[in-house]
Amino acid sequence: MKKVSLIGLSVMFLGLMITPLALAEKAEDNYKLYCFQCHGSKGNGGGINAAALSTAPRDHTSATEMKKLTDDNIFTAIKEGGAAVSKSTFMPPFKSILTDDEIKEMVKHLHKLCNC
Amino acid sequence: MKSLKILISLIVFALFLSAGVVNSVSADEKEGKALVESKKCGSCHKMQGPPDKTIADVLKRKAPDLFYAGSKFKKEWLEGFLQKPTMLRPAGTVYLNNIKMGEKKDEIGDVKPCASALSQKEAHEVTEYLMTLKEPTMKAGVIVDDKFSKAKAKVLFGQKEGCSGCHRDKADSGGTSCPTLYNAGERLNPDWIFDFLKNPQKYDPKIWMPRRELSDEDFILLAKLIASMK
Ligand code: HEC
Ligand code: HEC
Ligand code: HEC
Repeated sequence: MKKVSLIGLSVMFLGLMITPLALAEKAEDNYKLYCFQCHGSKGNGGGINAAALSTAPRDHTSATEMKKLTDDNIFTAIKEGGAAVSKSTFMPPFKSILTDDEIKEMVKHLHKLCNC
Repeated sequence: MKSLKILISLIVFALFLSAGVVNSVSADEKEGKALVESKKCGSCHKMQGPPDKTIADVLKRKAPDLFYAGSKFKKEWLEGFLQKPTMLRPAGTVYLNNIKMGEKKDEIGDVKPCASALSQKEAHEVTEYLMTLKEPTMKAGVIVDDKFSKAKAKVLFGQKEGCSGCHRDKADSGGTSCPTLYNAGERLNPDWIFDFLKNPQKYDPKIWMPRRELSDEDFILLAKLIASMK
């Protein structure tokens, strides 16, 4: 009986330890909620906001386009916005929403989308 | 001596009157609160904080949060809206749940306005109640109604900060993933606009509007521009 409650307590303790980590969202889910609106559900730039943007959102599925960018460049564009990499200000800065770790995962996710 | 008596009775009378006014206001509030329950506004709207903290919860959201409605809205607008709701978000509350995902591009699917259909009396009572739901950290009196450089504000809204990429600033132009702003001046409290712009994530940690890092001066310009959109 004592053993069981001890196990129960340690499980609860572990649960508490893990909670902060669980707050990080999967890159795929972040991409859906935050990027689909402009870059589109296929990642090719066909989002519902695209028509309102004076510069077309980058086609994340195009290997030729995406290969031109280094990982550092992509990281900075997402964190600080288009203006920080001398691109369109219609690409917003995401640092108020995504943590550095989430942005790193996002860079990996973009490599999957362009297959490059 | 006599005039003192008259004065005292006048004061007593005034106190009596004001107590009566206070009482009748809270009666409307009470009715309003009961209506919010009987009309089940809470089946779609969150009437109490805290806001959603995960994407999974945001995706289950049916309607915008109302637990700070008293800071956000203008009373007159609210009373009209609750009788005859108009469309505010071209792609619905959570755009991601309402898009038809195409091979080349996405389209907006079916979206409906708010389900509220209150009588004038009910709308008045519910408004009195909703106006008591405040965001405690919001400062009042920041945005004053005076002259400002509309041209400068428009450059901020358009080219510089890309607000039009997500928001419609005219009935037929601008983004569609969030509320239209071309009539926001009728709807929103200018002080709330300023407070929200400074930190959208304070109100809604997972909202898909990134915070911009601007000076208070620029935020004030933007708030005044939006408050002037009618
Ligand atoms: C409001 C619309 C909008 C949203 C939302 C948006 N983007 Fe962009 N994005 C753009 C535009 C426009 C460009 C093109 C910039 C240019 O070419 O000048 C762009 C370009 C990019 C680039 C290329 C940057 C470069 O240096 O060429 C990357 C990477 C990118 N976006 C990633 C993302 C990610 C990841 C998200 C979601 C977290 C996202 N974007 C959300 C509009 C948007
Ligand atoms: C069936 C679900 C549903 C019910 C029930 C409902 N609403 Fe709504 N309401 C919505 C949706 C969806 C929106 C967003 C409409 C839009 O953006 O165009 C909305 C918008 C609103 C808004 C504007 C919010 C904002 O931030 O823009 C207010 C205020 C509101 N509703 C009040 C009420 C009240 C009061 C009741 C009860 C009398 C109620 N609603 C009942 C679905 C509902
Ligand atoms: C990437 C998309 C995006 C960009 C860019 C953006 N917003 Fe927003 N905005 C949103 C979303 C999402 C909401 C909240 C939606 C909701 O309440 O349902 C919002 C809400 C607002 C509101 C409150 C409107 C209401 O009725 O609830 C105002 C005011 C506003 N934004 C102004 C701005 C300004 C000014 C800028 C430029 C600095 C801007 N937005 C840039 C997505 C965006």
